Order: sequence, then structure tokens, then C-alpha cells
Amino acid sequence: MAQDYTEWLAINVLNDQQLVNYRSLSRALKVHSNLAKQMLFDFHRKQNAKKPGTVHATYLITGTKRKAIPTPITNDTQSQEDGEDAVMQSSPVLPSSSAAKPEEEDAKSTLVQTVMLVKEEHLEKAQVTFESITGMHIYSLQANGLGDIQALTECNRKIAVDYASEDPLEIWKQYGTIQNPNVKRRTQRRQPPPPTLAPAKDAAPKAKLVSTTSKPAALKKEGSKDSQDSKPASKPTSAKATPEPSKKPPMNKRQGSDIFKSFAKGKTKAQAAQESQESAVSTPKAALEDEQMGGFSDEDETDEVEAAVVEDSTVVNGKSKKDREAELQAMMEQEDEVMEDAAGNSPEIAEPDADEGAIDKPDSQAADEPNETVQVENGRRRGRRRVMRKKTVKDEDGYLVTKEEAAWESFSEDEPAPKKIKVPPTTSMNKPAAAAAGKKSAKPGQGNIMSFFGKK
Amino acid sequence: MAFSNGAESLLSPPRDEEHLVLDRTPSSYNPLLTFNLAKGEKKHYQQQYADMYFARLAQLKPAVEQIAGDAWEDFEVAGETVSKVERVLDVRQGQLCWVVGTIYMEMPLKPNILDDITKDHWIVAPPPRVKFISPSGGDQVMLEDESGRLRLTGSFLPSILLVTGCIVAVLGTENANGDFEVLDLKVPDLPRQPERWERDDGEAALNSKAVKQERTQAGKIAVVSGLGISGDAGDALTLDMLMEYLLGESTSPKDQEQAARISRLIIAGNSLASASPIPGREEAAAKKSGHRKYGYDSSAYNAAPTGHLDVLLSTLLPSIPITLLPGESDPTQTTLPQQPIHPAMFSHSRAYMTLPEQEETGWFDSVTNPWEGDVDGWRLLGTGGQPVDDVFKYVEGDDRLEMMEAMLRWRLCAPTAPDTLFSYPFQDGDPFVIADCPHVYFVGNQPRFDTTVVEGPTGQSVRMIAVPKFRQTGELVLLDAETLEAEVVRFEVFGGD
Repeated sequence: MAQDYTEWLAINVLNDQQLVNYRSLSRALKVHSNLAKQMLFDFHRKQNAKKPGTVHATYLITGTKRKAIPTPITNDTQSQEDGEDAVMQSSPVLPSSSAAKPEEEDAKSTLVQTVMLVKEEHLEKAQVTFESITGMHIYSLQANGLGDIQALTECNRKIAVDYASEDPLEIWKQYGTIQNPNVKRRTQRRQPPPPTLAPAKDAAPKAKLVSTTSKPAALKKEGSKDSQDSKPASKPTSAKATPEPSKKPPMNKRQGSDIFKSFAKGKTKAQAAQESQESAVSTPKAALEDEQMGGFSDEDETDEVEAAVVEDSTVVNGKSKKDREAELQAMMEQEDEVMEDAAGNSPEIAEPDADEGAIDKPDSQAADEPNETVQVENGRRRGRRRVMRKKTVKDEDGYLVTKEEAAWESFSEDEPAPKKIKVPPTTSMNKPAAAAAGKKSAKPGQGNIMSFFGKK
Repeated sequence: MAFSNGAESLLSPPRDEEHLVLDRTPSSYNPLLTFNLAKGEKKHYQQQYADMYFARLAQLKPAVEQIAGDAWEDFEVAGETVSKVERVLDVRQGQLCWVVGTIYMEMPLKPNILDDITKDHWIVAPPPRVKFISPSGGDQVMLEDESGRLRLTGSFLPSILLVTGCIVAVLGTENANGDFEVLDLKVPDLPRQPERWERDDGEAALNSKAVKQERTQAGKIAVVSGLGISGDAGDALTLDMLMEYLLGESTSPKDQEQAARISRLIIAGNSLASASPIPGREEAAAKKSGHRKYGYDSSAYNAAPTGHLDVLLSTLLPSIPITLLPGESDPTQTTLPQQPIHPAMFSHSRAYMTLPEQEETGWFDSVTNPWEGDVDGWRLLGTGGQPVDDVFKYVEGDDRLEMMEAMLRWRLCAPTAPDTLFSYPFQDGDPFVIADCPHVYFVGNQPRFDTTVVEGPTGQSVRMIAVPKFRQTGELVLLDAETLEAEVVRFEVFGGD
């Protein structure tokens, strides 16, 4: 074991020029923190004996320092307003006050227990400031001098990311963390999202589409791995993930609507089946693009989108983009109740997704299925039916021609009439979300409210 | 500078010694839900705030009357004995009497709704005031109750701390101007203080368990406030040092033993630097809003601070139980009492919290601000600092401990609510009235650490602690749960001269 740490430290500190603190060392070698501190010391001494100045250290000093109490009278700058002197100090402010008066403690200074981090070049100076030292050890090592001492936070951040999978209650004992036998923890149904996004977020404060689009490949794999254990078909998603980044940025905004797009006619069969699942994962990407809505919200969004998938598990064809967006927006602002449904419904997703793929294929092949089917599912009428739709096409002469033609679409019982499809989906899925309520009043209101204002 | 024994044990190459893994002292915890509001639809805002004052007066009037009656029973001035007057308006000119009422401070510099309107018309709003005290005595002190208002004067007044909302008894007489000249003033003073372990023993007795339980020696309670986590690097290093110290990983073995005695961590507010992802009116006008999707501009929201806080908490939780109070800059209400920060903010630490349906308290307890609870048998009362900061604006001077003491003696943990401190309009009773005298009263986010002990008329003794902002001072307060002594541990990074 003696050789392990020397080797490990040589690789990481000297070769890779990384910053290593005793915690990273203890996690890497699975040793007690105190042992790690000693290892650091040993390495530091040996390396510097061979060639001075190769390895720099920071020290952690614990001890007591003398600190003078600033008295209320002398330190009172705020009360100097309006030229008045502070009056309140000496007299008892309340008839029954019994607190010790400040004057008695004027010149007393107290010993304060202090923990101080100091670079090795300042070690002597720092030691002088202490009254007495109760402990000193090496905190970290680095190959070159440490420019900004705040860079040390990077070590702990890396530990949080690299060792996120370790269960603290089992593993941390070997690191020497103080154990607590009474700890209560419940097993989570859903795993919290991994903190991989932290470096991505912290590195680039401005959302750069370039950097974010390069990340989603990794992100999607994580997303699909973590959140959808019950989705067996997530593997083709990962494969599909790589062509995603190559899509133009504007496409990303529409990714949220992919869930419906996938059921629209005209899409390739291959894409259709996969995009339905992919869209669930791709919404995190869309969110990422919008800056720091990181992995922490991915989980919830994915579930919400799954809920949407379940509710519209039968095909939604031919809806306009605007409707789909509005719908998605309404769903995004739904209450958590829907999410609970999602959790229950998530096992069902695997099946409907496969079914949707199957439905899509025959759809695109046979343009019009001459079936008007109605199914009863979960107390909702669902099915396909014929609807007249307007299509605007550009003629060879450049003229726009509007034709009415029949189209098939799916419907859900909540929709009162086929014509009113635009409005009811918003209403049906619109639980007490204020913003959606605003939308609702805007849309049907456009007939009523705007007519009040007339033509402007 | 002296090195104590064993200080340099870690400055040596690895030896074949046994490195101990320490166990933490257990913490006995029994919080109260005094300030928890009803959720969702059961919380109404239709009622008026005046009811809060009436409720407060009704709750405290008996106590004040008792004290005033005892003190002034045989009080005589120039041969005239004092009589009690029931209502404020019953005071007669020239008659020596005493009456109980609520103090109202009329201060022209108090925040006014008209200031907001000014902001609409002028580009520059008047800057927020540090203190409301007007320079040339424009302030008036009034005594108010259900019947009416009485202006108070007299040279006695400036020597006492008074803010809007305290219930007092004043002794004096009405002068020719119609003002009441105050000769003496009495406050409710500290309420009854429960014994240590009283509530736990009481509950045990009700559940027919053995009342006299063997209790292990309590450890220390760590209190910190004002972590001020923002997305920038800034002071993240001191936070890391704090975390390592509490986990027992950093420092020498002897210090680690000390750290192992810390049984609970209480975070008293302002863990995040800025709660609101929504910019204020001025900022929103200044910058062009980014792409709005789903009703909000996600580029304006930075999830990094919450994530950082969550990671910090989830690293500490396996080792130490935490109680988290929200503060002014935390993502919860701005009105008092601030409700617990929602578990949704903590995706990792959530596992240590209990579900809403469960009865028992969680390992990680996200609580209200102000908060009351029993830790290791002692009754603790704590706030995130807003009430004291508000009282500060009313009075001259900067002695926070003085203000805290005054608030205890007024029996109000937030006297200026709802006047200048936003509050929920309580209908049935004022929970800000301190019913049981706490053993420890801590207030977070104060400019510096300060502590003292306050005595009460019937033997109560309260340890008051003003907890400084960690982001600025790097100080952690350790309260010894056996002796109720407070000390400070300071984390700093050597500046390098």
C-alpha cells in the first residue's frame, strides 16, 4: 500500500497536473482521511527532497486566535445618523433589563477557535497569527504554485460528481467520516439526477448552443438510463441521440412538440417510432439549451412528458404546431397530481409506445384508414374519426390554393366537439395553472374580448 | 504560538496506526409546529390585519395587568393614588392613572405605499432607509386599544425601546394638550419557562412510557446562518471547510473528536444569496428579456445555487441531522411566518426528509421561520433575522442583543408585524406571541456574533445568540447543550500579505 499512494500521487499531481486534496486521495484509495493526510505529507516531503519546488502544498491549521470584541460604542457607525450620538448604550433600556452592560467588557478580547487554510508560502506568517495551534495537516497538493486558492473547491466538486454513486451510509465509514447510527433515510422511487451537469453549468454561464449540443449525447444516455428503467426501448434512443445534435438549433425549440409530430403523417416510419420516446428525453435537451435548467429538472420534465404520452396514447394526427405547443405548455404547468399519474402509468408506456410505432407504420402506408373506431379507455372515449381540414398548397404558378380535404385524427372524450379541438385540449388539461388560465381566456376570448375593442 | 500535544501527528508519513472512525453524539429533537400555516385553499387572505392586533392585546393584556397592578398598587404622586383605567379613552385630564394598550409609532419615514407610486412617476426612487427615525422629532408614540388612541409624551419615553406592536402598561396623566405624560412603563416580561425535557416527559407520560428516562449526555448544537450560496465561486472554499469540519474529515484527530460531539446543525436563514429568479422591476426594464418559453425566461433562472446547496446538505446529512430555517433571500414566502422550503428544491437531500403524510419528523427538517422546537430537551426559539432587523429600523443604536432582549420581554418574536414586517393576517390568535419562554433564543444573519444570558422575574434564564452571516464572517456558532454556553469556530482562508 505504501507504493500505491506514491504512484497514484505521482500520476495525478505530477503527470496530470491536477489539484489533489486529502479527500480525493482518500476516495481514490479508499483509505481513512487522516491516513490520506499523512500520505500527502510523505509524498510532499519526498518529492521536494528529490527536487525542491516540484510539489506545492496548502495546509489546514486549527487553533485559537485572539480576537478583540468591538464594543458597541466605538463600533457604532450606523447610529451616527443626523449627527446624534448613540444614546442607548449605558442606560437600561427596559425597566427590567438584566443583561450585562457593555462597558464592563470593553477591552476584553476572546480566544476564537479558528480553522485556517493557508498556502505553503504563507505558512510561517499564518502560524504567527495563532495563539496556540491544536492541529495542522496538509490539505492539498499541486504541481505548480496555486494561483487562486478558490480553485480548491474544484476538488470537492469533482468528488461529488465522481463518487455520486456511492452510498454514503455504507461507504463513507472507511473515509473516516463521523458516523451517525440514528440516520433515517427513505429509499427513493426515483433516483435524483446525477450531478454531471454541474461542470457544464459552471463552466459556461452563457448558454452556448455549441457546447450544449455537444453534451446532449452524454446527457441523453444518462437521462434514459436513470429515469426510464421501465422503458426497454431506450437503447435505440441513444443511438438516435447522436444525429440529434446535428439538427439546427431552431429545431430544438420544436422538440417539445416532437411528441405529436411523431404521430403526424409524412414522417418516416423509422423516425416515428423512436421519436416518440426520444422526445421524452429530448425535452431535457431543449431545456438545457435554455441555460441552466439542468439535470435537476430533467427528471420531472421527463415524467410530465410521459404523462402526456400516456394520455394521448392513441395517435394525435394533423394537429397544428401551435396547438401542440399550447397543449404542451399547458401540460408543463400542470399540477403534480398529473405527475403521480405518470408514475403509475409509466409501466404502461412501454406498451403504448410500441403500439404507437405499429399504428404509425400502417398509417403512413395506407393514407386513409376507412375506420372510425371508438375505444373506451380509462373512462375516456378515444378513437379515430374523419374530420375536414383545410390545406393550403402553393400552385405551380405560385398561387396559394386552399383545399378542403378529409383527414383522420384521434380524439379523446374530453373534447366536446371535433371542431373545437383547439380550445378543449387546453381546457381539459388545464388544471389550476394560472398561466394556462391566462391562455384559455386569451383564446376563446379572442372571439369575445377583442370584439369589444373593435378594429384598431 | 504554541503547538499543543499531538498537533503535528498528521504531519508525518503514514504509520501503521489505527485510525478511528468516530460516532456522533445523538440529538434528541422534538419540533413544534407553531408557525406552520394551513396549506393551499385553507389559507385565506380575506381577513383584515387589525384582528392580529386585537388578538395580541387579548393574549397579553392579562399578563401586563398583573405586573402593572403589582408594581403600582400603592403608587402615589403628590398625595394622589393611581387608579386603573379600562380603556384608553377613559383617561381624564389631571387624573393619575394607568392603562394597557398597544404601542403605535407614528414615523413619517416609515415605508409608505405612496413611495411606490412615486417610483412610478419618477425614475429614481427614494433609497431605502436604514432607520425610520426622523431627525427633528417628527416621530410620535401612541397608545392604542379597541377604543382609541392616545398620544404619549414625556421625558421617560426616549429612554426606553419601543416599537409598534408591543403591549405595555403606562402610568401617567393626561396633560393640557391632551397628550398622556408617561411616568412609568411596564412590559409583560418573560413568560413561564418550561423545565428541560418537560415536553418530552409530558408526552411520554401521556403515552404511559417511563417518565424518568436515562438520557445520554447531550452534545453541541451548531448554528450557522447566511451561507449565501450564489452561483459564483466567491466564498465556496469556506463552505467546503465548514462541510469537512462538520463531517470530521478535516483537522487533527483531537479536533475531530470535538466535531463528533456536534449533534445537530441548525441553519438559520439565507442559505441562498438570491431567491428570486424573477428580476425586480428596474432590472427587468433594463435588460432585454431572453427567449420566453412556457411562460418564463429560463435563461434568467440559475439553478446552480440551489444545486450547490442541495449537494452540500446531502453530503452533511449522512453524518449529522439538519434543521433548515428559511431566511429573507430563500425561496419561500416573503411574509412571516415563512413556510418551510419545499422538498422539491432538494433533489438529493429529499431522501432524508419525511413525506408529508408521515407523522414523525425527518432527519432533515425543513422548518418555518420563525421556528420553535425542543432540541436535547431545551426549548429553542429562532428566526432568520428579519424581525430583529426590522426592530433595528425603529430604534437608535445597533445593539442587537438589546433588541432581542426587548423582544423577549415584550413576549413578541415579531413585534413590528404586520406594520412594517410583512405577515400573514392571522385571525384567531397571534402566534408571534411567545407563549413559553425559550431556553435559547437565536437570531440569524446578524452583523456579528454576540451572546448573553437574560434573566427573568421568576427565575427564567435565556441564552440569546446573535448568529453572524457565514458568508461574511466565516463563523459557526457552537452551543453546548449541557451548559448552554456559546462559542464560535471561525473558518478562514489566509489572505496572504
